[in-house]
Amino acid sequence: MTTHIIMVKKILADGAPCRKCGEVYERLLRDGLLQHIDRIVTADPHNPDSEGMRLAARHQVSRAPFFIVRDKGGNEHIYDSFLRLKREVLQARASTTEVALDLAERFPELDYI
Amino acid sequence: MNTNLNIEQLATHQEQNDPVEILRVALEHFPSSAISFSGAEDIVLIDMALRIRKDIQVFSLDTGRLHPETYRFLEEVRNHYGIQLELLSPDSRELEQLVRTKGLFSFYQDGHKECCAIRKVAPLRRKLATVDAWITGLRHDQTPVRASVPVAQEDTAFSTPEHALVKFNPLANWSSAQVWEYIRNNNVPFNELHRRGYISIGCEPCTRTTLPNQHERAGRWWWEEEALKDCGLHVATAEPSRPQPAEVA
Ligand code: SF4
Repeated sequence: MTTHIIMVKKILADGAPCRKCGEVYERLLRDGLLQHIDRIVTADPHNPDSEGMRLAARHQVSRAPFFIVRDKGGNEHIYDSFLRLKREVLQARASTTEVALDLAERFPELDYI
Repeated sequence: MNTNLNIEQLATHQEQNDPVEILRVALEHFPSSAISFSGAEDIVLIDMALRIRKDIQVFSLDTGRLHPETYRFLEEVRNHYGIQLELLSPDSRELEQLVRTKGLFSFYQDGHKECCAIRKVAPLRRKLATVDAWITGLRHDQTPVRASVPVAQEDTAFSTPEHALVKFNPLANWSSAQVWEYIRNNNVPFNELHRRGYISIGCEPCTRTTLPNQHERAGRWWWEEEALKDCGLHVATAEPSRPQPAEVA
């Protein structure tokens, strides 16, 4: 992997990761992709100075988790969709459920079909 | 698929208030188009479409968690109209994996998206890969999310670079009252749950009755309001302090 990837995860008041961050971490682990994540930083909403909160503000991201991918040229790209990161950066195959989940999250109107 | 049809023009056309005209355009320009039927008042789409063409394609998403009344209604619709109602089931392997790892009611803890993805979105995606257009019963007045629903649109969710898909929402500009007037005037069968206070009808564990004038969203996944905030990255503000006795007027 020639890129540098930071995962920003949110922690709740009790220090546990938010539900989505926990799920994405599990999926990275299960798919053997965790090795490609160079750093995991936490966003603590009770501490606006926490590294993750500062990164979220800088990149104007409003939901966790998200990924900051620095390419060979030093340009940063933000991925707020794990599916896109998985396919485009980690070049891994996404399961049918992952694709469907990504659609369900990006298109709320699908709730009512 | 007829590429001469200008979807944007159609969406702003004055006939957009007439669901039958929208259906006629959909069925004439996209012979393979299919109606997505939820088992609720979108039954009017089937009734209207059959007046235009007899060989319409209709499908429903059988999540396995619908009310018994809805299953009975689906069967009633099949018999009443003499149509082949296609029931789409979830992928058994994906579903078994979900239930094995998270149980039957994971949506109450984890939110509904994962279960909906497996039971609804994935089968829908599979089906939509086989048609050029689909027809839904989405309406403006159902929820704030749907306030911007046009009568016709390119489906940005399910289109792929290789396969363009159009979505028609013929009822977009109709109100609930108009839909029910049509049902009454045309003796259209309806799901008995509507008599019991259900406005929108989804899966049994995720749907409840609503009060008059409540949005149908209030009747779905009502436990999630808090959970949705769970992943937001907004700075937490301190609890507002309660007014002290001296501050109370
Ligand atoms: S509505 Fe509820 S039961 Fe039905 S698919 Fe979605 S989460 Fe699962």
